[in-house]
Amino acid sequence: MTTDLNQFPQLDKTKFEQRGIKLEIGVPVTSAVSIGNNIAAGFGDGTIRIFSSGEKHKTLKAHKGVILCMAKDGDNILTGGDDGYFLKISLNGEINEVTNFGSRWVDHVAAHNGNLVCSSGKVVYYWDKNKKEPKSLNHDSTIGGLAFDAKGRRLAVSRYGGVTIWKKDYSNKWKSTKLDWKGSHNKVSFSPDGKYLVTSMQENVLRCWRLKDKLDFAMSGYGSKVKSFAFIGDTSYLATSGAIDAICWPFDGEGPMGRKPICLPYIGNKQVTFIEPFPDEKAIFAGLSDGSVFLSQIENENNTIMIRSFTGFEVSAIAMTDNKSSIFIGDMNGNILWTSIWDK
Amino acid sequence: MEETNRQVPVTVLTGFLGAGKTTLLNRILTEQHGKKYAVIVNEFGEQGIDNDLVVDADEEVFEMNNGCICCTVRGDLIRILSGLMKRADKLDAIIVETTGLADPAPVAQTFFVDQDVANKTKLDAIVTVADAVHLSSQIEDHHEAEEQIAFGDVILLNKIDLVKDENIEVVTKRIRKINPFAKIIKTTKCGTPLKEILNLDAFSLKRILEVEPDFLESDHDHEHDDDVTSLSFVSDTPLDMEKFQNWFGKLLQTKGQDIMRTKGILNFKDENDRYVFQGVHMLMDASPMGKWPENKKRSSRLVFIGRNLDTMNLKEGFEACKSE
Repeated sequence: MTTDLNQFPQLDKTKFEQRGIKLEIGVPVTSAVSIGNNIAAGFGDGTIRIFSSGEKHKTLKAHKGVILCMAKDGDNILTGGDDGYFLKISLNGEINEVTNFGSRWVDHVAAHNGNLVCSSGKVVYYWDKNKKEPKSLNHDSTIGGLAFDAKGRRLAVSRYGGVTIWKKDYSNKWKSTKLDWKGSHNKVSFSPDGKYLVTSMQENVLRCWRLKDKLDFAMSGYGSKVKSFAFIGDTSYLATSGAIDAICWPFDGEGPMGRKPICLPYIGNKQVTFIEPFPDEKAIFAGLSDGSVFLSQIENENNTIMIRSFTGFEVSAIAMTDNKSSIFIGDMNGNILWTSIWDK
Repeated sequence: MEETNRQVPVTVLTGFLGAGKTTLLNRILTEQHGKKYAVIVNEFGEQGIDNDLVVDADEEVFEMNNGCICCTVRGDLIRILSGLMKRADKLDAIIVETTGLADPAPVAQTFFVDQDVANKTKLDAIVTVADAVHLSSQIEDHHEAEEQIAFGDVILLNKIDLVKDENIEVVTKRIRKINPFAKIIKTTKCGTPLKEILNLDAFSLKRILEVEPDFLESDHDHEHDDDVTSLSFVSDTPLDMEKFQNWFGKLLQTKGQDIMRTKGILNFKDENDRYVFQGVHMLMDASPMGKWPENKKRSSRLVFIGRNLDTMNLKEGFEACKSE
């Protein structure tokens, strides 16, 4: 049987694609962060590309292998790689080694107010901004994710069997409390108001703890693993990937227990693989497994626009500049769209 | 327009400490073969490999929360394989070394259970390196040695230069008793062409038809209960599909812990297609694989490898599935 390609609908390019810059790098985009009005994107070949409006992007060779994780620290970019390096990189291309673990991967990085943290295997390393040597925080199993709360006082570390929350006491000693739930926990995040903690699990489910009383509950019903989620606005919704709709759980009032999520549908019935909030709005960018990206208002499902049409490859990074003027989209084949959002 | 990337084959390399796994890994990494192989090693494994394509792993086994007691998987592998899939250069194969004492089942099960892993990689074969000098005594003393033989698709019987010919025969027989369908390759210093151990596609159902295992007629001495043994059954009488599914489904559900591997080709009444299946513990892959060849006798054959097989009434169960 032969396939007649003409029988597929030929989608027109979106206006964003028509006016934006499109690149085919051919290497997976693994992460992207906004630094002011620039976007730094990490790639599977160890390069970083910095996109600024009105100029050609800059390419830096940072790691020898895959850039596994990325975070921002003020005006700097933090990266961890499968070459064992944890790097701090400035926007003008200066690369500083924070540390390197040899053949052990740097799986996760995070920062708050100049304090840096990374994980490699079962250990979290914490660099106080005033100190050279890191403090090691040990865990019984490999770390699945790291997150500071909004004030940077608590550090959540997800792992097998639950989450460990680290905090310095009044005498500056590290103390930990554990939230237990059987299974493997990956990405972790505090809600912006600090009242909830959410993890995505190896199973197709999210686990949530209400921190004041450690009450825990599941958010389930997904068709695949939830790889991406984000709190929207000031704790009004948790938007999640893992289904053919973007699933948005209400976190206002008494939280999501016993309430139904809002499901935002997209054409094509493809899995949502990436969620990025639109800052200060109840709106999200949703990236799909076929490379298409949509912008939707959560409380008005009819208000959805297509930002990028399909490429055939899973969306793996979306980032918006701090001034909300431009958007960066990348996928697992290195197809990039860098475009302004607003009509001139 | 979904992603149509090739799945990277993953070979699981197992074997007792000192059998020669590191020798083999060094060959895979240093020989001029023009291929790109990544190797995932355990920090407690043997020393002596240094290469950019070597990844250190902790063997972390965890249970999936899906109610299936057999669904233990390797969490570290899910993490490392998804990292390797982001590389710019495409890998020709990935080799996962498991430590001498580890049960290879969680590694195999990882490829059935995790969707991302299953989309981008596929389990190619389990290769067991065995020490021809010590295997017999290791099997007596350590149930892991026996299990590694039981799970293997290929067994490299290594160090044969140190063993007399008649003893090689004895060891080979011992292996055959545990695992009748593995391919046994006799080597010195793991010296076998890499094409004999990599890219075998041993877990594809098609492959089961191409390389038919020795489905031995059951001659089965009484073993003490703890031994891993194999049992095989052949029948020219067509099977009743419903009866077979009921029996086999229940069997794997209740005895899946003890049944390590199963393979079979089935001849169902009123069906023109051959049905092929293979499984690791409770997880099973089965599918019709085209019509029976004209010149071939239609017969059902299945083989079990595991513990306590003689307590499962397998013969009676199988007989009861016959359509007449």
